[in-house]
Amino acid sequence: MTFLTSALFSLNAVYILTGIVLFIFAALNFRDRSNKHRIGTALFWSILGIIFVLGSILPTWIAGLMVFAMVAIDGAGRVSRGDDSEEVTKTGQIKSRATSIGNRIFLLVLCIPFITFAFALVFRWLGYSSNDGALIGLGYGGVAAVVVGIALTRGTWREAFQEGRRLNDAMGAVNILPALLASLGVIFTASKIGDLIAQGIQKIIPGQNLFLLIVANCLGMALFTMVMGNSFAAFPVIAAGVLVPLIIKPFGVDPAMVAIVTLTAGSTGTLMTPMAANFNIVPTALLDMRDQYGVIKFQAPFALTIWTMHVLVMWLMIRLF
Amino acid sequence: MVLTQVAACTVWRQFKITLREFNLHIPELFKLAGIAIVIIGLALRLRTTLVVVTAALVTGLLAGLPLLSSQGVFQGLPYLTRAGQEGIINMLGRAFVENRLMTLFILTLPAIGLAERYGLQEQAALFVRRIRAATVGRLLFIYQLSRVLMGILGIRLNGHPAFVRPLTFPMSLGAAEAAARARTVDVIPGTIVEEIKAANAASENYGNFYGQNLSPVLPGILLVYGVMKGLGYQVSVWSLVLYAIPIASLSIIIAAFQFWLLDLREKKRLSPGKSS
Repeated sequence: MTFLTSALFSLNAVYILTGIVLFIFAALNFRDRSNKHRIGTALFWSILGIIFVLGSILPTWIAGLMVFAMVAIDGAGRVSRGDDSEEVTKTGQIKSRATSIGNRIFLLVLCIPFITFAFALVFRWLGYSSNDGALIGLGYGGVAAVVVGIALTRGTWREAFQEGRRLNDAMGAVNILPALLASLGVIFTASKIGDLIAQGIQKIIPGQNLFLLIVANCLGMALFTMVMGNSFAAFPVIAAGVLVPLIIKPFGVDPAMVAIVTLTAGSTGTLMTPMAANFNIVPTALLDMRDQYGVIKFQAPFALTIWTMHVLVMWLMIRLF
Repeated sequence: MVLTQVAACTVWRQFKITLREFNLHIPELFKLAGIAIVIIGLALRLRTTLVVVTAALVTGLLAGLPLLSSQGVFQGLPYLTRAGQEGIINMLGRAFVENRLMTLFILTLPAIGLAERYGLQEQAALFVRRIRAATVGRLLFIYQLSRVLMGILGIRLNGHPAFVRPLTFPMSLGAAEAAARARTVDVIPGTIVEEIKAANAASENYGNFYGQNLSPVLPGILLVYGVMKGLGYQVSVWSLVLYAIPIASLSIIIAAFQFWLLDLREKKRLSPGKSS
């Protein structure tokens, strides 16, 4: 029994559910004659589905080749959407029923954050990772919301999957970008790109001026995060290559104070890079924006301002404490 | 012709001397080609997936990584493998599989699609229009604060699919419609809608990035703790949280200012007197 529950409430179970949804999207696309590249599109989503379902048992080289296959299909322009998946449901297609549902429609979408929340809290309470809890909750929240939605709207599963597919097709290959960019980060790390950049900073930095060292540290962290697309990947490199040898050691600074500010200096980089696809590019697809870089452009002034604040705050904290 | 060659030679020699002074080797620098590929590829708006995989292959090969791990069927294969080193293809596959959790939001798409079909966006807009004080900027500021609060509570979630697309975005449109005294979205100029979308995505990022360091159980603080410990410095997670407060507060203030400016711009462009 405990085995069953732990299997059911595991990341793997949610991955398998995601895979099944992807297979359904693939099948719907395959049967959609208005989609110019219906075979390529169906193949693309099927491969992603297989990676989701079998990911934890596939040999890594097969998974790697499957990633290549997906990128090749997308690179050849064979991932597209059909006409009938383009009709945007902006105006609430089922008007008469929509008015009678009223504000209860919110119940449907509130299911998702509510269950995500609940899972995260319960997982933490039971001593598991609340991070996993949130992810598993996001998955089951999505499923529960469809069940609630069908009960509420008296719609059908078919409608739900068609609508889901409409959103998915609108995003297209952007869906795989976050995982793909994370993989690029792993290869950058294995190729020791970070060491090279830390060395470069060490060579360029002018001697003993604390303020300039802080500028170099925060700039290096932001720039390297922009390259990696992830401040968590950049932090160990900058901490070991710049922060500790050039600031903490020679000036005897409280390590906790400067370390956390260095990490968030990386977050300002995250706000400005397309490499952080899950934060900056996926939302443009989710919201159907015209400009792929629209979110980054909006965030840039904020990021530059708060980056300057990082330099000042770090300098002031070192001087004052 | 000859002159340019001589000039080029001098420049090249000077470049090599500079490199030697900085103690960097040229083959080392070639590894940065991957970064150049990404920057150029994205600037030219080439297909992102292709650019990323090309950059990964080029970087790995220039760094001397083998294509495949020397395991199973590929054990001891010449040229393509090297004993004891993970291959580029294996690395790509492993990292992609490990990070597929970033694409989990696909499971929420049927529910959101269904809700939209039955009038979610209209209802959200209607709901906000009834609140007189609601503006896009204020709405997004409150959303950002709620995300910071979630950070303090130690809850981390992917807010773009869970909150932004289904709720805050249609609510923002409702607020904009109210400002324009319009009945439908169609009256609002496309450029403003695009800006509202960007601002929605941004408020999620602002709240998420700077709020998550206010809890000692979230990965940001744990990462810093772990890395500093590895470098020989034992720091307390609570002092990390303490020192995260100034920047988190500043992030809220700067965002409030940016959203206020957004409201001002919109008020100007959407005021009912104007013909736009």
